[in-house]
Amino acid sequence: MTPGAPSSHEPQRRSNALDIALVVWPSFLAACVASLLFFAVVDPELLRDAGPRLLAGIDREAGYALGFFFFWGIGALASTLSVYLIRTDRPARRGRGTS
Amino acid sequence: MSPPHLKLVPTPEPAPFYAAAEKIYPREISGRFTRLREIAVIVLLGLFYGVAWLQWDGHQALLFDLPARKFHIFALTLWPQDFLYLTLLLIIAALSLFFFTALAGRLWCGYACPQTVWTELFVWIEQWTEGKRSRRMKLDRGPWTAEKVLRKTAKQILWVALAAWTGFTFVGYFTPIRTLGTGIATLSLGAWSTFWIFLYGLATYGNAGFLREQVCKYMCPYARFQSAMFDKDTLIISYDEARGEPRGPRRRGTAARTSGLGDCIDCTLCVQVCPTGIDIRHGLQYDCIACGACIDACDEVMDKMGSPRGLIRYTTEHALHAKATHVVRPRMMVYASLLLLAGGALMYSLFTRMPLILDVIRDRNALYREVHGERIENAYSLKVINLDDKPHAYRLAVSGMPGLELTAPAEPITVASGSVSDIPARLQAPVAAAGGVHRIVLTLTALDAPRIEVHEKTRFIGPAT
Repeated sequence: MTPGAPSSHEPQRRSNALDIALVVWPSFLAACVASLLFFAVVDPELLRDAGPRLLAGIDREAGYALGFFFFWGIGALASTLSVYLIRTDRPARRGRGTS
Repeated sequence: MSPPHLKLVPTPEPAPFYAAAEKIYPREISGRFTRLREIAVIVLLGLFYGVAWLQWDGHQALLFDLPARKFHIFALTLWPQDFLYLTLLLIIAALSLFFFTALAGRLWCGYACPQTVWTELFVWIEQWTEGKRSRRMKLDRGPWTAEKVLRKTAKQILWVALAAWTGFTFVGYFTPIRTLGTGIATLSLGAWSTFWIFLYGLATYGNAGFLREQVCKYMCPYARFQSAMFDKDTLIISYDEARGEPRGPRRRGTAARTSGLGDCIDCTLCVQVCPTGIDIRHGLQYDCIACGACIDACDEVMDKMGSPRGLIRYTTEHALHAKATHVVRPRMMVYASLLLLAGGALMYSLFTRMPLILDVIRDRNALYREVHGERIENAYSLKVINLDDKPHAYRLAVSGMPGLELTAPAEPITVASGSVSDIPARLQAPVAAAGGVHRIVLTLTALDAPRIEVHEKTRFIGPAT
């Protein structure tokens, strides 16, 4: 193997598209699970009635959708942080062949 | 444009770390496992598109009615209070996946995963509109002729129509599909339903038409961790290296061994038919979705060459190394008993499910009240939840203490299907018998169905003695 070439056990630099996929996709899966569990227990209409005035006028279907996107957003935030931390890790720790 | 005398010298670029995915043209194939997969596709998709339209007892047979917060599963109606079943069902699904993976490898991936099933359907449409593998490759390489435009347009129209119908059907499991259909026909569909139909349609199109095997390779978590459930007795698809190597072309009818060759004629058909584009002869890879297409391709070639079938076959690592394969082994016993336990718990709780909940809360304002100086009264608030799919009238009864009487409610309690009623209740007992704290039982019985009966313990408090 030529020096500097990435070997299989070294983390490889990924394309931006793959980074985006790594953020969006796992957080989508997590949002599905979170919505399922959360809305199995909590009725969005009760949440609206107990919540701030801002939520008034939101029906159940909108509540489910908003909840889903909320969970997706939180998940994406966590995934973004993970990807960012991996990307900005000290190069020495990531092995040769990566910048 | 650069002047002709300037020759561009390519600068040495670092090797690309990320190879753009090359389009895979899976070759059409027939055989045992292909037929099995076709049957699986037809049955599973038939169920998916068909069951949404089944009616049961005046409602959609299978409907996870999110707007109304109740699930109809044929004769059974589940409410948010039945959360336990959902949890059990998820546990059973996970355990089944473990069990079947350990037993037979990636059965799920090859035959049942929606990604595989819909990709198969989209590939059928592609073959129908654009022709076989070689024609598709030629069509993609060639210029945009009228025929190419026509074929590609036909494919896209069919794909989009199928994706839209899939999105519609999917949403139809969460909002009554007939209402949804009427809504579309009269252009009065709600904004969220429209949005979800569009989103799921887009997901179907993207996953089955565009991403295909890349979902399995780059997006699927199961593909990465399924090997944790594997052992040397797990059914895998494998190339018999000892039999096949050294590979090489030869004339038909040549005895392979005498010419120093193995049974593999290196026709690469197993690679051409692979939907994820791998070479099974390199050994087990996590890109392999165990669809069996390479087995069918190789069997056909072995038949033609007059060699025995099974150069690529379903086998186990133990069998490949001429050792005994054990179906019953500790791992299987553990998965199976956990599965039986969870399944048994689900069955038991479903069959003994009481479609009625009674919550009793003692009045917080006063411990007790004297009535006319001769009786002691306690007040309670009852919460009656009717989980049945029809309304019921219930009779309340009390027991556990001599002389205890129910003074309110005097009438039977009527609760609509899936509703909660808050009922104030008052109990009285003679002063002489009421002293101290008494443990009592409230019993609620449906008038029209004595089987529906719940008992709830509470306390009756009188003056300290």
